[in-house]
Amino acid sequence: MQLKRILVPLAGTSVDVEVLRVAIALGKPAKAEIVAIHVIEVRWNLPLDAILEPESERGEGVLDGAVKVAEQAGAHIETELVQAREAAAAIIDTARDRKSDLIVLGMPFRKRLGRVYVGKTVQGVYIGAHCAVLAYRQEETR
Amino acid sequence: MSDRGDNGPRDREAPSLEERATKAGSKIGDRRVRIVRPAAAEFRRRGGHYVATPRVDAAQSRVGRVYERARHILFGARLTSEEEAGERLSKKTGLAIMASDNISSSAYATEEAMRVLAFAGGAALALTMPIAIAVCVVLAVVILSESRVIRAYPNGGGSYIVAKDNHGVLPGLVAASALLIDYVLTVAVSSAAGVAAISSFVPAVHDHRVLWSLGLIALLTVGNLRGIREAGVIFAAPTYVYVLSLLGLIGYGLFRLGSGDMPVAVLPPDAFEPEGIEALTALLVLRAFASGSVGLTGSEAIANGVPNFKPPESRNAVITLVCMGTIFATLFLGITYLATRIGIAPDQFEFETVNSMLTRSLVGDGTPFYYLVQISTAIILLLAANTGFSGFPRLASVLADDRFMPRQFAFRGERLAFSFGIIALALMSAAVLAAFHGSVTELVPLYTIGVFVAFTLSQSGLVRRWWRLRNPGWRLSMAINTFGTIVTGTVLVVVAYTKFLYGAWMVLLVMPILVGLLFSINRHYRTVHDALLLDRPDEPIPVLKPPVVLIPVARLDRATLQAVAFARSISPTVRAVHIATTAESAEEFARRWRRWTSEVPLDVIESPYRSLLQPLLKYIERIDQRDDRPITVVLAEFVPRNWWEWILHSQTALRLKLSLLFRPNTIVIDVPYHTEDTGHGVTPRGPEDSAQ
Repeated sequence: MQLKRILVPLAGTSVDVEVLRVAIALGKPAKAEIVAIHVIEVRWNLPLDAILEPESERGEGVLDGAVKVAEQAGAHIETELVQAREAAAAIIDTARDRKSDLIVLGMPFRKRLGRVYVGKTVQGVYIGAHCAVLAYRQEETR
Repeated sequence: MSDRGDNGPRDREAPSLEERATKAGSKIGDRRVRIVRPAAAEFRRRGGHYVATPRVDAAQSRVGRVYERARHILFGARLTSEEEAGERLSKKTGLAIMASDNISSSAYATEEAMRVLAFAGGAALALTMPIAIAVCVVLAVVILSESRVIRAYPNGGGSYIVAKDNHGVLPGLVAASALLIDYVLTVAVSSAAGVAAISSFVPAVHDHRVLWSLGLIALLTVGNLRGIREAGVIFAAPTYVYVLSLLGLIGYGLFRLGSGDMPVAVLPPDAFEPEGIEALTALLVLRAFASGSVGLTGSEAIANGVPNFKPPESRNAVITLVCMGTIFATLFLGITYLATRIGIAPDQFEFETVNSMLTRSLVGDGTPFYYLVQISTAIILLLAANTGFSGFPRLASVLADDRFMPRQFAFRGERLAFSFGIIALALMSAAVLAAFHGSVTELVPLYTIGVFVAFTLSQSGLVRRWWRLRNPGWRLSMAINTFGTIVTGTVLVVVAYTKFLYGAWMVLLVMPILVGLLFSINRHYRTVHDALLLDRPDEPIPVLKPPVVLIPVARLDRATLQAVAFARSISPTVRAVHIATTAESAEEFARRWRRWTSEVPLDVIESPYRSLLQPLLKYIERIDQRDDRPITVVLAEFVPRNWWEWILHSQTALRLKLSLLFRPNTIVIDVPYHTEDTGHGVTPRGPEDSAQ
């Protein structure tokens, strides 16, 4: 499979750097276009386009960090900041609009009730995406 | 499908650094807002506003990048405002930066007192030691009083703030102008004294001492433009080397005297008359005391720059102040004692300093220790100028904040230093130095007056403050400051009286002029402030009638077309005016204009003497008289692609802009036309002449 466009959703967690490096490693041989996206989830009691200063600042920080990681890895990435009600739907729709071939998702290692916990965003993208989805789970923390 | 957020029609028209595009989702309710920040690399969002990133200041052109690189090497990397706390001084670096003036005075205070006493003959030099003790007593009083200033005014400003707060604006400005003059003289005297110390062991330097001094001022300017902390780091080591080498010299000298090994005094190249040329009068002794009091200068700098210290600022400043006084007194008394005991006499023509002769007498000529003492003396004397460089810009910034000095003095440069103040100080001290031929003896009489004016005003100001506030312990504080006022006031009278004819009159003349200047600057700012002040915070935006727009046109071309299009976008009342030099060209231009458009009326003025600006200005004046709406002059200005192409164009628009700058009720709008402009938003109707 020739990868042309890869979408990397970043939530600002500890797995971001690793998942971005994985995406760059996958996309670099084919010179794939890599887009890092951060979705700000807007609560239902607020308008969708509400100006959320702290969240926007944090999002910009996450994407700036991604650009730096990519530069260190010798790659160029695009970034996109999005506000939506649900992150999964926004990721899926962005992937569709951008005609992405692959979504590389990161999962921080988390446990709930003794089992590894896969968040609803990962699940939602896994189920709803039109394209291939690669979920990268972080190594178990000791 | 996309649209921008519902921020209202007004916001939609105004371009912003951020665009919000709402995108439809694959399902109802999956809409998302894409936040597009094309300038995110230049402007970061923070707390509801934008913050410019370093990329904004980055040079674009190659020449600009080379210039930036040179600046970086010379002055260091830019510092953000948040890094100000990191630029504070510790006690160690603070002593080197802010106390170097006072400590370095020990290198010449003995000599200055001796040079006056020498007029009364060699025997009169025995009075140098009592004079040195008297100076140290005054210093102790000053330090005790200044520590009170620091505690009472931890935000700095020193004598100016104290005097202004307690005596009023005029005494405050007198103190400020006295200190400003003194800081200029500190830099001039210090660099001259530094060069004098070098010329003591490299005589060839003496003939070019002005040039050497100017070079050293330039060096110090660059060092200080790098920021106060870095200047402290650069200049700290030489200060401590000087202190340690002098302490070593004094210790060695005392050991030799104590062990009965009396050194042979080195004689000056040109000694004063042994019998003297003046009688030993009380006035002469007072003059010697006044000259020795030069050692008290610089002790106000710490109180002036308390905010430069790391927290706790006041405590650190007081500790530094006490250390400074102790070091100075030890060195001054030690040198004076040894010089008088050994029998060192000053040189008439300043070819060799007393310290140099004392060192040669004790450790021998050409020994490594001699060179260590001389070189460290030369360096500390130079670094003493740092006190001026830290004091003057800080005081000028306080004055600028109070609108007594131009606002530029309050502006911090890229390295958080008060760059404008530093450069102004360097230029003024260089001018003074050149005017006095780089001579320490010529400059010293000007010195110390200012500092004692400031001391006396701040001490008496504190007396009033304690009396007014009556805080716990006010009686002791008041007693200390009353004593300080009496002592410093007495020294001021002595210094002013004895040095008046030797140059102090110049300072006493300049001081009121400077006070007047500060007042007039303040008056200007107050007038401007009153004129610009909004009557109330919710002042409504006035509704103006569209202005009368005049477009001076030289020819019918793309630049004119763009200017006319712009003029019509801001007002329906647009009129073009053309100055022709002959009747034929006037006729021809009017014909072509009529053929191009009938929507914009044109006035053609024939100027038989070929003058361009005067007919235009008179025309604007007459139009203005006939209409109460503001006149707006829209200028079509062609901007060449390269800077050197400017000289190929007459720059009429530029000259017209300058002529209209001070004209009331006139708005001047420049519509630049770049050769790459394609006239976006302009619908050409076929101008027949596009030549430029």
